[in-house]
Amino acid sequence: MAEVETRQRSGVLWAAGGVAVVVVLGALTRYLEQQVPVLTKGTWLGGVAKSVEYPVYAILLGLLGNAVLTGLGFRDRLAAGFRTEFFIKTGLVLLGASINFAVIVKAAGPAIAQAFLLITLVFGFTWWLGGKLGVDAKLRALLASAVSICGVSAAIAAAGAVQARREQLAYTASMVIIFALPSIFLLPLAVDALGLSAPVAGAWIGGNIDTTAAVSAAGAIVGEEALQIATIVKTTQNALLGVVAVALTAYFALKVERTGETKAGGRALWERFPKFVLGFLAASVIATVFLESGGDKTVITTVNDLRTLFLILAFVSIGLEFRVAPLREAGWRPIGVFASATVVNLLVGLGLASVLFAGFGR
Amino acid sequence: MSAEEGVDRERGIALNEDWAATIAGLVLLALVLARIVPGWLVP
Repeated sequence: MAEVETRQRSGVLWAAGGVAVVVVLGALTRYLEQQVPVLTKGTWLGGVAKSVEYPVYAILLGLLGNAVLTGLGFRDRLAAGFRTEFFIKTGLVLLGASINFAVIVKAAGPAIAQAFLLITLVFGFTWWLGGKLGVDAKLRALLASAVSICGVSAAIAAAGAVQARREQLAYTASMVIIFALPSIFLLPLAVDALGLSAPVAGAWIGGNIDTTAAVSAAGAIVGEEALQIATIVKTTQNALLGVVAVALTAYFALKVERTGETKAGGRALWERFPKFVLGFLAASVIATVFLESGGDKTVITTVNDLRTLFLILAFVSIGLEFRVAPLREAGWRPIGVFASATVVNLLVGLGLASVLFAGFGR
Repeated sequence: MSAEEGVDRERGIALNEDWAATIAGLVLLALVLARIVPGWLVP
């Protein structure tokens, strides 16, 4: 008994240490983001430094911290404190306050249409290809959910729905992060090269990159409007997660495992609904009412700074969580399925975003 | 801990984080709007 308590206490201490590492690297990110452009002004580095956004510093410092902590042998014990999901969701609730509720209402139609079509097509393609290549049905469900809906949280929900093994979940989560990391930098470059408008760019990024945190990072690199639309699109996909999880539970119970046990629809839907979406909407309504009734705009600037701080903590955590090892264990087939699905997602997503968000904001 | 228990535990943490993030975000918003957290306090 005493031994269990001691172990639990040491686990909490290590997790607190992990949070401390995230906060220190976050503070360093904020310092670099604000000071590097000032310090390099007038030098040949000045132009580059000015265009480097905070997600870049945060992720690079996270990766550096990851390498150092892995080298020292502390990383795995501290990992419980790298709470990407908590930091990003808190940041997104705060982001809701910077978006007028009318914009959310206006974007809801195309965002729901895009999310519905993209999830159906990409999930269907991944499931089909995984089947052709002989990937295990549970792993296929995890991969298809992760790539078509919202990365790690979709994989967690799908893992619960199909009762996948922990290694399959860890493997899918690693793959999500490995694919998301380069896309944070590549998609903004592609947006520039293709000359996409901010709403189309946001819709493309929001519909494409798997993890919500990486969507925010790429959106922030492109700009504020792209970040807002990307978040609305991604949040819509997040909201549809419950529907897919319930459908998967029913499919696996009735067709794959033939247990015949399915959970009651409404309750299961609510259980899997990402609650932060409600916080995001509530924050938008509260801030819109606050401003419309003559509230001080500068207060919203403070909310935005607070939001940036949480996004920085989430991006640092992405870098700290990054692991390559689980991929080596699973072989090339699931990687091939995930990579192909990502390409299909990119192309279909670009087409849908270009059509559905073409006249947005005009 | 069995593999399935591991997944259940992950799900439990994810659900709790969802609520925790929602509450933390809305409480922080309320504190800033009520000017209990002033602008200079946020770096």
